[in-house]
Amino acid sequence: MRRGLFLLAALALLAAGCGKSSGSSDLGHVTVAVDVPVTGSPYIAQTIRQGLELATSNLNAGGGVRAGEKSYRLDVKLYDNHLSARQAVKDTRRALDANTVAIVTDGTGVDATWQIAEREGVPICITYDGGSGLVDAETRPNVFRIAPTNHGIAFRYAEYLVPKKPKVALLSDDSAYGSEGAADLDRAFAENPEAVAMKLTLPGGQSDLTPQVLRVKRSGATALLVWGQPPTIAAVLSAARSSGWDVPVYAPPTGADPFIRQQLADHPEWVDGLTFASGRMTAEVGTAPFESFQSQYESTYGADKVGVKTSEGEPVVQPPEFAMYAYDFAHVLTGAIIRAASTDPEKITAALNQVTTQGANGDERGFNENNHEGVVDDDVYFARFHDMTFAPVPDDPLSSTLPVIPQTG
Amino acid sequence: MLLVAVTAALGAAASAAAAPPRQDVVLPGPVPYPTPNPPLAGKTAISGGFTRYVFHIASTERVLIGVDETGSPSSVRVRQRLDVGGRGDYQFAISGPIEDVLRGPGSDSDPGLRADQVLWAGFSPGHKVLTADVTLRPGEAAQYLPLRLGLERTGDGVTLTLTNATVTQELEYAGTTRTRQIASLLDRTRRTARAGERLTAAYATFYGLVRQRERKAQIEAPLRVEGELRAGSGKPVRFSGTLGDGEPLALVVHAPGDGTPHVTVTATPVPAERLLRPPGGAPTWTAALKRRPLPAPFLLKRLLESRMRLVRADQYQSFLANPDADGRSRSVYAYETAKEPRRRAVPAPASSDDDGGSPLVLLLAIAGAVLGAAAGLVAWAHS
Repeated sequence: MRRGLFLLAALALLAAGCGKSSGSSDLGHVTVAVDVPVTGSPYIAQTIRQGLELATSNLNAGGGVRAGEKSYRLDVKLYDNHLSARQAVKDTRRALDANTVAIVTDGTGVDATWQIAEREGVPICITYDGGSGLVDAETRPNVFRIAPTNHGIAFRYAEYLVPKKPKVALLSDDSAYGSEGAADLDRAFAENPEAVAMKLTLPGGQSDLTPQVLRVKRSGATALLVWGQPPTIAAVLSAARSSGWDVPVYAPPTGADPFIRQQLADHPEWVDGLTFASGRMTAEVGTAPFESFQSQYESTYGADKVGVKTSEGEPVVQPPEFAMYAYDFAHVLTGAIIRAASTDPEKITAALNQVTTQGANGDERGFNENNHEGVVDDDVYFARFHDMTFAPVPDDPLSSTLPVIPQTG
Repeated sequence: MLLVAVTAALGAAASAAAAPPRQDVVLPGPVPYPTPNPPLAGKTAISGGFTRYVFHIASTERVLIGVDETGSPSSVRVRQRLDVGGRGDYQFAISGPIEDVLRGPGSDSDPGLRADQVLWAGFSPGHKVLTADVTLRPGEAAQYLPLRLGLERTGDGVTLTLTNATVTQELEYAGTTRTRQIASLLDRTRRTARAGERLTAAYATFYGLVRQRERKAQIEAPLRVEGELRAGSGKPVRFSGTLGDGEPLALVVHAPGDGTPHVTVTATPVPAERLLRPPGGAPTWTAALKRRPLPAPFLLKRLLESRMRLVRADQYQSFLANPDADGRSRSVYAYETAKEPRRRAVPAPASSDDDGGSPLVLLLAIAGAVLGAAAGLVAWAHS
């Protein structure tokens, strides 16, 4: 059983804290804000919100969460940050005015919002953006994350690729996501400069990157590691494959975004071989816990359809990876409220450092005083696309132990 | 706590009247330890679980103890390296009076910190090195250190007293045994000790009544100590020796000279060796027995107390716990007088580009503060 150390204690804590109260009218209310880019990145926004709502509705159905002598119902309040830091600041202020006890976000604007939230002691949990500077237990004590970190992904890529002795072109787009990833790749490959053929920044939002890809090809690169938004990855694939260059392409978690497959739906073979890194969705206990979560998620909200089909004509669905992170945070938050025996955000923030709960994939989730990351670097795995679905790669020690998640139906 | 009779292998009914009853008695080792700590335990830590059998972990610790001018510990830090063998997901928790933890050199991963716990979590592809620099609360950790230092100014210099602080009392059994078996067990125990291995379970056969000795045995973890003592700029005095294992439990060192004493000592728990040496220069206890008779009570006492010392020494090999209870652990305790608080440097003459550090700036700052306070007072008086 994976990471079983604190589980019994944590489950006992949850069991003691969650349960039917004497009557629903006795329930208090605590609000959890979810600030996501509904109008900027709707898939991410939707999956985070739904993961959080699924968890809170389960918890509420079980009687809510008990803090000291009183039980509370968890209410989710949605805010749309439009992928804008300025809007995220406004949303945070509104959420604080609404006495929210925690804010769940994709990561937009956290550099600006964490201090506002900290003044009220309110914790922020990032469930998508892996940017290295966003989370720092010492300087940003109220910021937590359940999502793979850019740092972890970059170093895992170096660990995975360098022994294969490729000449990797490190490509990034000019978005904040791309430049942050490029910095982490620089650090990860710093000790192996011989493995790097070239580094290149790509213009974001361009559908034709043929000149840039040609330049990369001439550099002698034998592999491309593209850190960018989904359209950038799709454009690189398109440029390389259309010119007949069958170079291996590697990507961060954005490589799994449905957008890429939708863009290349007319050439599914161009997606074949695309490898991306992300957080593992299953633990050593096997697929059962995640499949159970996925089944519950899909029966509540419907499957996240990618909009493409396999060669057999089966519709492809996206496993709810980022929904899982938001779902898990709701449970860790509940554990913290129970431990704090209070709905005071400051006490909850302190307690978040001390609790572990069982995550949707059967793994344990928790933070600690030194590290506010809920996904450890070791949990980064690699998966490769074939026929519009992906499977863990067989040539990485962790990935080779992981099962394939069903993605059709 | 020491010995537990596990089997009573009584003879056949027909021979019971003729022969005394026989009992196989468990000898000390490898566990339990005679006291609960070390390894250290945290007060508020959630109790740890078990480490999956797929992992084999070797723990190497260097315990760094800062001592004050009297020899009392003022800081306790531990650098613990875990060499994890085995493939799979892991989560280890190491508890103690833990104040802080940082990633140590050569570590493949970062440690986490909870209340009184160091956390390790991740995936091991087959081998992984986890190194942590752990800061402990000295008030709580120091009581479990194996060596006590006393520094005293005496006459023309400074005197250091090193005392083995691992001594504990243990119950000891006595009874009728066969000398050949006990000699053989002594040889086996000695081989284990010399190989630096952990004891394995062993039994001795007692005939007739097994009783407890009235006087408890005084058992210590033998400590190998090495170090240097210096008084101010005086000539350093080097020293080394073993505290325990039949040698005195304390060592006194004197260094002439004036000035602040400075001491460095390393203490390493070592297996009992001297007490397991066969008498008369014989190569083995069995051979010694063949040369001349040895009293059975002497042999039994030597066997039991040597094994107790090996267990006690093994206990001090883990100041912080090894998550793998069966894993190999090694600890070295390094004591050093803490550096004096750094004295303020004499201020350099102020230069024109001095950023706020000149006496003029200081005076202006003070004047500003006084004016500010006065203005505040006036505002308050009119509010």
